[in-house]
Amino acid sequence: MKKYLSVFKISFAQEFAYRLNFIMWRVRNVMQIILVFFLWDTVFSNPGRVLFGYDRAKILTYVFGIMIVKSLVLSARAADVAGDIYRGDIMNHLLKPMSYFKFWFTRDISSKALNLLFAVGEFAFLFIILRPPFFLQTDLLALFGFFLSIALAIFIYFNLLFMTSSIPFWAPELGWGSHFLITAIVIEFLSGSLFPIDILPLTIQKILFISPFPYLIFFPIQVYLGRISGSVLLGGLAISLFWAITLWLVMNFIWNKGLRAYQASGR
Amino acid sequence: MDKAILVDHLVKNFEVTEKTPGLMGAFSTLLSPKKKVVRALKDISFSVSKGELVGFIGPNGAGKTTTLKVLSGLLYPTAGITQVLGFDPWERRPEYLKRISLVMGQKNQLWWDLPAIETFELNRAIYEIPKKVYKESLDELVTLLEVEKLLNIQVRRLSLGQRMRLELVAALLHQPEILFLDEPTIGLDLVAQEKIRNFIYDYNRKHSATILLTSHNMDDVIDLARRVIVIDDGRIIFDGILDELIARFAKEKIIKLTLTKEIDTKELEKIGKVKSIQFPEVILRVPRSAAAVAASELLQSFPVGDLTIEEEDIEDVIRVVFRGEAKKLSRK
Ligand SMILES: Nc1ncnc2c1ncn2[C@@H]1O[C@H](COP(=O)(O)OP(=O)(O)OP(=O)(O)O)[C@@H](O)[C@H]1O
Ligand SMILES: [Mg+2]
Repeated sequence: MKKYLSVFKISFAQEFAYRLNFIMWRVRNVMQIILVFFLWDTVFSNPGRVLFGYDRAKILTYVFGIMIVKSLVLSARAADVAGDIYRGDIMNHLLKPMSYFKFWFTRDISSKALNLLFAVGEFAFLFIILRPPFFLQTDLLALFGFFLSIALAIFIYFNLLFMTSSIPFWAPELGWGSHFLITAIVIEFLSGSLFPIDILPLTIQKILFISPFPYLIFFPIQVYLGRISGSVLLGGLAISLFWAITLWLVMNFIWNKGLRAYQASGR
Repeated sequence: MDKAILVDHLVKNFEVTEKTPGLMGAFSTLLSPKKKVVRALKDISFSVSKGELVGFIGPNGAGKTTTLKVLSGLLYPTAGITQVLGFDPWERRPEYLKRISLVMGQKNQLWWDLPAIETFELNRAIYEIPKKVYKESLDELVTLLEVEKLLNIQVRRLSLGQRMRLELVAALLHQPEILFLDEPTIGLDLVAQEKIRNFIYDYNRKHSATILLTSHNMDDVIDLARRVIVIDDGRIIFDGILDELIARFAKEKIIKLTLTKEIDTKELEKIGKVKSIQFPEVILRVPRSAAAVAASELLQSFPVGDLTIEEEDIEDVIRVVFRGEAKKLSRK
């Protein structure tokens, strides 16, 4: 356990080594939020308007929710794993008496902690300048469901990342592209981080809700907003849990195969 | 158990996809990849006793690095058995990894953006080194490798040689019993090479560590290893004492003369190949079996002030071995 505390600390130090980079990235984040905010603010310029069951307060909460949930779920250091394999740096880790997954998971958590810290600051800043009508959840059960779904989402995303990152074991030159495809397109689109999924046709929604993707962003936010509760909440959590376990097993299977096929090239 | 490393009929094949150039080529590679098998290790066997320091040499692409990677558990062997300290390296058990270290000349484990001391602290935690042992170990390594002043400087700002020495510290903090060194002196200046060599020598003595060392720098091998394993094209072509390698593969001896008078060098050609003349010094190469006869003839018929018979340079011998002439010899 102490090992991973040290990993946590050094990761934190590492994040600060690229201060400027980090700040630029945060600025980009804020700009993105402002853009999306004004988009929806225009759509809902008429205060009485309700679209797809979202009024102005809820859609804006959704937008701010995305900011927090994304920085918790989709910001992951483990996105570097593909490069780690491709460059051969993974050898350094494999030679150590330490689990490679736990190493990256710890680095993820440390990076998420840092992100959360900043996201809260940005949140306060944007809140003050934009003054959005904000929906505060007070129901403890909903809050508990929210945190549980976030934890599951983090774990599901970690496994998805590790699975796509294993491609360079077999095809070193494909690594980056496939990675981009999965994270940028599939996840941004299907997780609900661009738009709420429940504005899509019902059949598509039904299919999506069997997949793990909505449980990354959309589901936690809906739970927070109180739009999902009771048996639907339990059902959703069960599907999340199912995916968390299944993806963990599949990921381990793939990695065992991958390490065997690994050619340790590039050094 | 006195055998630290055991390799038995080890085979390692790499599967590579052949690329066709151009865009269409890239597509056809993607759709119907042409696989080619590279046979990096073709059935090699050897063993190393505890505390032994063995030089592992061979030309580029011979399979040295591949062997070290299999032994340290990075590569899954295609066939054959490997056992190190009684462990199967591939399982990469923590108890095993805590007792070995692989140092590669071009590999960085140090965190690039942070001072080296941060990596050392991390390794202390990962290897679960007790505080006291860590302190002693660090002090010793830092003093021997003369890196006191470098510990708190961002690694990216260091020179290659400085970094290499710090890499060694990072790799040895946990005091491994088995050390795989892959070209540890690559790219270093002569002083730094000497430093690292001395250090390896001391480490081997002090900790009775078993060391497998590859290098293209023959000084490393000559200074450090008594026993060498020569590998070429995935096969072991020699395994024995360094002196034996020379006795077996050196076909010539070197005769060095000091002349007292200038003479027609054509005459010397009749006795052996003239390697160099810088009056009054002459160096001749003669077949091993004819060395004595040649020497006595030189003394009789030439104005010789001084004469010595020497073995060929190890480097020259090894060059012969690498050039493949050894394969013919070893097949006899
Ligand atoms: N990842 C890999 N994929 C495909 N072929 C490989 C890979 N790694 C090594 N090889 C091939 O295996 C053979 C042995 O390589 P290896 O790196 O072990 O040589 P070496 O003895 O260390 O050479 P050098 O002195 O140049 O370091 C070479 O023919 C090399 O091309
Ligand atoms: Mg090599």
